[in-house]
Amino acid sequence: MVEFNLPKNSRVGTGKSWPAPQGASNTKTFKIYRWNPDDGENPKVDTYTIDMDDCGPMVLDALIKIKNEVDQTLTFRRSCREGICGSCAMNIDGTNTLACTKYIDDAKGDVKIYPLPHMSVVKDLVPDLNNAYAQLASVQPWMKTESPPPPDRERLQSPEERKKLDGLYECILCFSCATSCPSYWWNEDRYLGPAILLQAYRWIVDSRDEHTGERLDDLEDPFRLFRCHTIMNCSKTCPKGLNPAQAIAEIKKLLVERQV
Amino acid sequence: MVEIKRQTTDILILGSGGAGLFAALHAHKADPNLDITVAVKGLLGKSGCTRMVQGGYNVAIAEGDSVERHFQDTIEGGKWLNNQDLAWTLINTAITRIHELENEFGCFFDRNPDGSIHQKAFAGQTFDRTVHKGDLTGIEIISRLAEQVWARGINRLEEHRALALIKDESGERLSGVLLVDMRDGTFTFVQAKAVLLATGGGPTMYRYHTPSGDKSCDGMAMALMAGLPLRDMEMVQFHPTGLIAGQDTRITGTIIEEGLRGAGGHLLDGAQERFMKQYDPREERATRDIVSRAMFEQMRNGKTTDNGGLYVTMRHLDAAMVRRQFKGMVERCHDVGFDLVGGLVEVVPTAHYIMGGVVFDADCQTELPGLFAAGEDTGGVHGANRLGGNGVANSTVFGGLAGDAMAPFVKESGILAEPSQSEIDAAVARAAAPFGKPAGDMNAIRDRLYDVMWEDAGIIRTRESLEKTLVQLDEMSADLANVGLAEQDKRFNLSWHDWMNLENLILVSRSICVAAIARENSRGAHYREDFPDPGALETSTYTIARLADDEMTVETRPVEFTRIKPGESLIDDAA
Repeated sequence: MVEFNLPKNSRVGTGKSWPAPQGASNTKTFKIYRWNPDDGENPKVDTYTIDMDDCGPMVLDALIKIKNEVDQTLTFRRSCREGICGSCAMNIDGTNTLACTKYIDDAKGDVKIYPLPHMSVVKDLVPDLNNAYAQLASVQPWMKTESPPPPDRERLQSPEERKKLDGLYECILCFSCATSCPSYWWNEDRYLGPAILLQAYRWIVDSRDEHTGERLDDLEDPFRLFRCHTIMNCSKTCPKGLNPAQAIAEIKKLLVERQV
Repeated sequence: MVEIKRQTTDILILGSGGAGLFAALHAHKADPNLDITVAVKGLLGKSGCTRMVQGGYNVAIAEGDSVERHFQDTIEGGKWLNNQDLAWTLINTAITRIHELENEFGCFFDRNPDGSIHQKAFAGQTFDRTVHKGDLTGIEIISRLAEQVWARGINRLEEHRALALIKDESGERLSGVLLVDMRDGTFTFVQAKAVLLATGGGPTMYRYHTPSGDKSCDGMAMALMAGLPLRDMEMVQFHPTGLIAGQDTRITGTIIEEGLRGAGGHLLDGAQERFMKQYDPREERATRDIVSRAMFEQMRNGKTTDNGGLYVTMRHLDAAMVRRQFKGMVERCHDVGFDLVGGLVEVVPTAHYIMGGVVFDADCQTELPGLFAAGEDTGGVHGANRLGGNGVANSTVFGGLAGDAMAPFVKESGILAEPSQSEIDAAVARAAAPFGKPAGDMNAIRDRLYDVMWEDAGIIRTRESLEKTLVQLDEMSADLANVGLAEQDKRFNLSWHDWMNLENLILVSRSICVAAIARENSRGAHYREDFPDPGALETSTYTIARLADDEMTVETRPVEFTRIKPGESLIDDAA
């Protein structure tokens, strides 16, 4: 059997260890990926043991506590802290999710925290999202129309038409789904991945949009759409409870339907 | 010598909330050849507060509603301190903006059965005029705007923090902005023909607060440092229902929406007794300022839950209605361990919005040529109290107007003025100050700021408590100046940014205190226990705070009633 080893400069080493504060009885250990492109060293995993009697319930609370009280050098991305902005998506205990809405207690043993898988890393837990955003722009996620809108009011949309957008508009673009998808890991240069395809579908089903055909043409491609092999990691991992796999299936269905 | 990268652009926009993105889109529409750059502390569309908007967007588009009625509600809500021309502009232009958001940018808001936009009730308003997308309206607005910005080839400087407004050698005109590229830690000077200050406010100097973690009043602090006047800084709005989940979690302070009270939710003290009847005949449906003050009093009298808060409950209402109408809120409460449908949710008033800000006019110009301002960085639109739903209207209306104004400004009088090197040097030195010093306890200073502002300069104030706060703020500044950083590398150094955030918050807190001392009456969000009466409306004044040689000064000026005087009404059928 063939054995693979990661290239030398990708092997993750063991970093520093920060013990629990003295007298702490209720502790939890966090193992956190660290990497700084400036120091020329391989990534390492640092170990922090903190007092849970003095820490909020969410993983983001622990990260902020570690940065504020234990190790000022720890870096991560965060903004709203309430599951709205999607900035703090990371791999926690093997699952991609939002640090701000993930309970520390959900992890049975030590809490292992890594950046979103298969993305370039800016530093520590901060992923480089430039490719994902470029892909988003490529599906032209904005309303495209030919007919002029009514001069002084909105385009009408029935509650039934509007309902079709439920489960789509709630996406906060955290890219937890895309970075959980093996197809995306191997082909992120050509496959759009579940986050972007869900966004694409959101415009395909919007009754006000008048470019549905072109949108479907753009996706009818062995890589852009059809690298989805219904592995379903995307729907399993979505921290907002959305179902990108279903959106992808609906797109595939529309492509078939328009041929028959 | 620190290396400083240089670049130029026609229009530099600081901030990517509703104001910043609308400005970029309008400037681009006015002149597609303009080079436009949006610089933001986080990721475009992900940081800031427009995205976090839950309730919605006030606009007079329904039959039976009118611009006059919305204006009247806004002025009465603002306790007659608003700049009436700005409020008038807000209310008229909001109608255009809603149609733009829907028809040009593809936002969709909730619908009536006939396919038209649905509008819901909000506190303090005489008509159901709040356009919304469920109970999470901001994501829809900001996502659609961000997509439009990506579509137009507008330059983005993401994770670039603005440090200082830099004038030209004469000091008469803005030259550009010094920023730091947070990702690699390098300083960048962006020279621009016009700059828009649209970083948003965010009163995160209070123990309980709603805004996102990257908000630290940077725009207001930069404006103060540049010597610009800020009006109404004593007016800090507290939202009555912030979640409380313990001192050690960032969940504490996050908001659950106003509509809960509108729909019949009850507020209870720690012993599960209702208390609002003692304060206002409208009970829980009274305006934000009254409810927050009542809650603060209950808390001060010790009638709290074990966590030091109070309760909101919907359990006496139809469970299916609560689940349907407040889906997002039910989920959020569930996420942090509360049952909104059938149980009690612990809440506390939470600092939400700064009505005050940079003095500006209806085309968003400030006193400094080349500098425009829009959104929560500005003051005057809301007076003493912002109506729920007028905030996102404010940022999108004036952001768009700023874009409309900056494009011709650049064409007619825009120049790339050479920056004052001494200002750049001073700003770099200020930003780099914590490097090379021994690391210290920044958290102790932040906690002290939270506590002092909450206890003594928040919902209830006196001259004595405010003067005490000013002394403590000076001590905190001195303490912070001695605190260094453990990490000397500037690359994505969060603790360095924490340090600068704290410096800005302390500075803006000083302006809040001096303005609050100057206002010897109680209006809207500002309540002086030693001057509890509102004073005569006809002789209303507003405050102007300025920083000069590190001295925070304040003056008061009479409010001009340019459209309507106290006692008058624009509503024909007002009875």
